[in-house]
Amino acid sequence: MSALSRSASVASTGAGRGSNAVKTRLAGLLFGVGFGFWLCWTRFTSYDVILGGLRFQQLYLWLMFGSAVVTAAIGLQVLRSLGARTWLDGVSVDWSTTSIRRAHLVGSAMFGVGWAVAGTCPGPAAAQIGQGHMAGLFTAAGIFAGVALQGWVSRRRVTAPVVSPGACAQA
Amino acid sequence: MGLLAHQCPWFVAGPMLALLVVGLRWTGNLHLGALGSFVATESWFARPRALPSWRVLFFVGTVLGGLVYALVTGTLRPTFANGAFDQMGLVAGRGLPARAALLLAAGALIGFGARTAGGCTSGHGVCGVAQRSPGSVAATATFVLVAIAVAWLLPIAALGGAP
Repeated sequence: MSALSRSASVASTGAGRGSNAVKTRLAGLLFGVGFGFWLCWTRFTSYDVILGGLRFQQLYLWLMFGSAVVTAAIGLQVLRSLGARTWLDGVSVDWSTTSIRRAHLVGSAMFGVGWAVAGTCPGPAAAQIGQGHMAGLFTAAGIFAGVALQGWVSRRRVTAPVVSPGACAQA
Repeated sequence: MGLLAHQCPWFVAGPMLALLVVGLRWTGNLHLGALGSFVATESWFARPRALPSWRVLFFVGTVLGGLVYALVTGTLRPTFANGAFDQMGLVAGRGLPARAALLLAAGALIGFGARTAGGCTSGHGVCGVAQRSPGSVAATATFVLVAIAVAWLLPIAALGGAP
C-alpha cells in the first residue's frame, strides 16, 4: 500500500518530489490531527452518540452527514470546474470513481454489523485511543486484525486460480 | 474553551468535515479515509522497508487529534468505560475481558468488511459520496441500512442492550 501510493506520487509529481513527499506526509499528519480532534468534538467517539444516531433517538449524526456530503460535493465540484491545481505538485484537482461491485455490498454489510455492535467505525476507534477512551484499543486492534486477515485472504484468492483453474469462473 | 467542551453544532461540524475532505484533495489529490489509514499502517508494520506513507501519518494524526482534544478541554481521564455498550446483555456484568472480546470481534468485522468494500464511513460515506462515486454510494447505502437494522435488533435479540 505504501509502496503503491509512493510510486503513484512519483508518477504524478516529477521534479522536486523529494520535498513534496515530506510535505505530503506532513499534510497527512496535520489533517489527521484535525480529523481526530473533530471526531472528539462531535462526540463521534462516544458509543451512545453513534447508537443514538443509528436508532434515530438523535438526528445529529444524519444532519452532520448530510451537511458534510453536500458541502464537500459543492467544494470539490467548484475546485474541479475552476481547474484548480493541487498545492503540493500543481496537478489538476481530480478524482476517480468506481462502479458498483459485489465487494462493495458484501464488505459493507459486514462493516455495518461491526459498526453497530462496537458503536464505532475506524476513525473514531483511532481518536478514542488518544482521547483516553481505552475501549478504542480493543476496537482498533480488531480492525487491524480484520484488515490483515482480509489482505491475507485476498492475496490467497489472487493466487488461487493458478492452483485450481476452476476458481476462475468469477473473473 | 467552553465552546469546545460541548458537542459541536451539526451545521458547523458538517462543513468542517467537508473542509478536511476538500482540503486534502486540494493539497495533493489525497482521499480522506480512515480505513485506508489502518490498511497503510498495517502494511507498514508488516513490511517496514520504506518510509511510512502519508496515510500512516494520517492514522497517527487521528490518534494525536484525540489527545489534543482531551488536553485542550482538560478531559484526559483514561477509562475503559464505554457508555451503554457495557450494559449489553452479552457483556453486562462479565468484566473487561468479555467487553474486550466483543470489541475485538466487532473490530475484526469492521476491518475485514470495510477493506473488502474498499472504504468505511469516511472514505466511502463522506468522501466517495461527495465525489458521486457509484460504488461509494452503494457501499454507504448498504452499511448504513445494515447498521440501523442491527442497532434496532440488538436490544430485541438475545444480545440485549440498554433499554
